[in-house]
Amino acid sequence: MSQTPANPTVTLTIDGHAITVPKGTTVYHAAKQLGIEVPIFCYHDRMPPLGACRMCFVKVEKMPRLQTSCTLEATEGMVVETESPDVVEARQGVLEFLLINHPLDCPICDKGGECPLQDNTFKYGPGASQYVEPKRHFMKAIPLSPVLTLDRERCIMCWRCTRFGEVIAGDHALKGHERGFATHIDIPPITMEGPSKFIGNTIEICPVGALTSSAYRFRSRPWDNLGTPSVCTHCGVGCAIRYDARGGEITRVRSRENAEVNDVWTCDVGFFGYDYVNSQDRLSRPLVRRGDTLVETSWDEALNLVATRLRDAGGDHAGAIGGERLTLEESYLLSRLYRSLGSANLDYRADSLAAPDTRDWGWGTEGTMADLDRAGAIVLIGCDLIEEYPVVWLRAKRALDRGALGFAIAPKRLEIDRYLRHNAVVRYGHEALVLLALSKLVAEARGAEAPVEAAALVDLDAAALASRAGVSIEALRAAARDLIAHPPASFHVGRLALDGPDPRAVLLAANTLRAVCGGGALSILRGRGSAAAAAVAGMVPDALPGLAPTDDAAALGRLRTAWGRDIAAKKGLDTPGMLGAAAAGELSFLLVAGADPAADYPDAEAWRLARAGVGFLVVQDVFLTETAKQADVVLPALTHAEKNGTVGSIEARVQRIGQARPGLDGARADATILQAIATRVGVPLMYGSVHEIFEEMTTVIPGLAEGLAFPLPRRTARVEREAIETILASAPASGGGATLVPVTSLFRLGEMTKRSPGLARLAGRPTATVHPLDAARWGIANGDEVEVAFDGRTARLFARVTDETREGQILVPRSLRLGGRAHDGTVRRLAPAGTWA
Amino acid sequence: MNLKKNGNGGRTVQRALIEGAAILKGMGVTFRHLFRKPVTIKYPEQRPAVAARFKGRHWLTLYPDGDERCVGCELCVIVCPSQAIYVKAAENTEEKRVSKGERYAEDFQINMLRCIFCGFCEEACPTGAIVLGRDFELADYSRQSLIYGKPMLQEPYPGASGRDPHSEV
Ligand code: SF4
Ligand code: SF4
Ligand code: SF4
Ligand code: SF4
Ligand code: FES
Repeated sequence: MSQTPANPTVTLTIDGHAITVPKGTTVYHAAKQLGIEVPIFCYHDRMPPLGACRMCFVKVEKMPRLQTSCTLEATEGMVVETESPDVVEARQGVLEFLLINHPLDCPICDKGGECPLQDNTFKYGPGASQYVEPKRHFMKAIPLSPVLTLDRERCIMCWRCTRFGEVIAGDHALKGHERGFATHIDIPPITMEGPSKFIGNTIEICPVGALTSSAYRFRSRPWDNLGTPSVCTHCGVGCAIRYDARGGEITRVRSRENAEVNDVWTCDVGFFGYDYVNSQDRLSRPLVRRGDTLVETSWDEALNLVATRLRDAGGDHAGAIGGERLTLEESYLLSRLYRSLGSANLDYRADSLAAPDTRDWGWGTEGTMADLDRAGAIVLIGCDLIEEYPVVWLRAKRALDRGALGFAIAPKRLEIDRYLRHNAVVRYGHEALVLLALSKLVAEARGAEAPVEAAALVDLDAAALASRAGVSIEALRAAARDLIAHPPASFHVGRLALDGPDPRAVLLAANTLRAVCGGGALSILRGRGSAAAAAVAGMVPDALPGLAPTDDAAALGRLRTAWGRDIAAKKGLDTPGMLGAAAAGELSFLLVAGADPAADYPDAEAWRLARAGVGFLVVQDVFLTETAKQADVVLPALTHAEKNGTVGSIEARVQRIGQARPGLDGARADATILQAIATRVGVPLMYGSVHEIFEEMTTVIPGLAEGLAFPLPRRTARVEREAIETILASAPASGGGATLVPVTSLFRLGEMTKRSPGLARLAGRPTATVHPLDAARWGIANGDEVEVAFDGRTARLFARVTDETREGQILVPRSLRLGGRAHDGTVRRLAPAGTWA
Repeated sequence: MNLKKNGNGGRTVQRALIEGAAILKGMGVTFRHLFRKPVTIKYPEQRPAVAARFKGRHWLTLYPDGDERCVGCELCVIVCPSQAIYVKAAENTEEKRVSKGERYAEDFQINMLRCIFCGFCEEACPTGAIVLGRDFELADYSRQSLIYGKPMLQEPYPGASGRDPHSEV
């Protein structure tokens, strides 16, 4: 046989067919490759075999008993039979035993119709049971969480769900309790971290109807569902999903396989967060402001008004914010409309105070998420991966499991802490100092090997920096050693740092660390939905579509050819710039498409002034958001489930969405709205279909292709000595009170998750996380209703007392909108736990 | 049969006799029936008695305590060869119990214009909820009124449809 030491293989015979497979392959997989189906329950090909259910029996020559093919490694010369009489009989026996205590629930079971137990029983079962005694009974339909329903009678104890929590997600959300006859699945009694973010996957892999979705419960049967392949557009990972719809109502979402992105998983926001599409609150008529109120109007009147005001505003006095919630075609149209009018006041970042140079610091990954599979170290800098890009965590966990090292530098202890080698819980706003200290230590240790950047670090005192940031220098030394020993490192900067006092410092310091480590990807994990790719489509003030520099003659030439008009090689205003101009009365027209700066822009006061100063505010959205409530004209738009086109992800991967239900009557796709406005302002954008728009995009944006991640420019900014001085000077001094740290929660993303009942309940009450020492000082206990006072403002929250945070640091919801400044706050107890109504 | 072409006179006479006898036999049958009771009736003044296993309009039946038998499982929907049934299920709650168990049919419609009265739905039903009754007088003036909803289909009291409310499936 072809037995080379590098690539050893074995040849075996299954049902008379010979097959050669790599050594280590199980008999089950070898049979599968031959197209021979062996029934299974407990085995799942993303998890190691367990051998719990005995469904996969096969007969192997010279082996005394039947073997479980999912656990049995194929060996040279093995002769396997999958349909011999004793195998058939054994399968019948296994099924008969499973069904002894399995209820006859198929007609009322949500799994019925797509149930492996049904299918296997039908195909391999004995046909009749010898068991006539009464079955075992448990309480039915136990709500294990706001989204998860458990039927214990139906569970066949395959352990897929519990092992998912151990092996894949790492959150141990479900566990087996008791033993023998009394064994059952339950949530562990104490879970510090709150609800699992991946429980939908256990529903999907449960081979029976024991775990079912409370959101989908009884809404439809599998044969009613009309499936449409699409892409999840909530967080920005871009998981492949399938919408199921019945009679125009989205009944559920399930994952599809995409090895490059989500493998076969989704997070719970994707899995349960679809009811917003069916919501009664959807806008279905254009609204126009008459005095203090918004009144319904006709599309014609609304569009005419918008067009008149846009034309009056002309180039430099019109601005547009949006992109997260638009398809790439729509971002492109919006950018084309504005650029044709001579304005480059375009920004996809609606919720960020800092909008540094897009080519250097644009949101998105360098390389792709799949590169994590090859990373030696994963460094999270103010990046709460599991809360913000949950499915990326699943990939990161896989990397950590195979030996990569995890590092976190953040103002809180991350939920995934136990999987990380190093977790520096820093003082808020001090990430840059830790990064510089770490860079210095790495440069020292690498000595002559260290690149030129190291020179700028020479006279830094790592120990002093560490103590200023509140982390132990010894821990940093160990981290530096590990970083050097585990190349390549992959650096991820996230919101906890980027929305902090000095995001630029963090980015520069991170790039320094990357340089002294000798390279690796530096990704900025920021922005939901299509944000990162909207920049590629053109929603940026300081670059052309495709992120070409504004003076790139070739790019300008391509645009000129495609658009048939001259495009000015100029830069426009970013979001903070536009809001500033608006406040100063210099912006007379602002279009906000699928964004909600009134609720999300971190500086509430800046937005208020901008709104007061802007001449005319137009909002295209699905719901009456905070921004829409303040608008002059509101144009009702369609959701992603109701239109065709492409969307982008955090790695700027371009993926096609599909229309899963007819558009809501009265609302229009953003593309249609933009085309109508364009026609009225005299720069008609005529396309026969969204496909045509995409085709044009591929001609003006080289490198843009469906299914692929657009190569975002590599971040080149270098850290100079002066930059380091600025960083050292700018880190906030540690004040006496407790610092408020705005944090993100996965289940509290905004208007869409709010309208999916299960998610709204998962999000729970808004909390202030307080360190036990602070809690003792202020006399508050877990669950108390508290008032957090800062800067003359107050907020009512519920206390969570854990050491997830540092002493002197209170984690508060981002919705408090602290404006990127470090605030000192105090906490006062309003009511003890349990008294809230 | 073409007699001329056959060219055999003897055979022709024989055939004419046989055929004449057959006519007489047939007339005999007719004659006998002249004195029998007619099989037709003067509908609608007179009502027919339908056969014991006749399949007429559907009923959704009840348990003796008034709970609905239907659990909204849609097995009748999927088995129906003419796609005449629409069911939308919902969950029983403490406050509102409609059927036994967890689930009931919130909406149940049968399009009587499509139904071919095959009875498959009755056969598929796991709870014996849907039965085909004896009523065949289903004509009406509009298509809409021939889509029967739950108020039309539900038997007015347990046993009204003729199905024994105590019997199992
Ligand atoms: S889990 Fe499967 S076999 Fe069991 S009741 Fe549900 S559909 Fe039937
Ligand atoms: S709940 Fe489902 S996945 Fe979990 S052990 Fe039971 S049958 Fe298996
Ligand atoms: S009797 Fe036959 S055709 Fe009529 S509803 Fe039932 S299954 Fe359908
Ligand atoms: S009538 Fe019977 S088969 Fe039809 S939905 Fe109701 S219980 Fe199911
Ligand atoms: S699938 Fe092999 S033992 Fe369960």
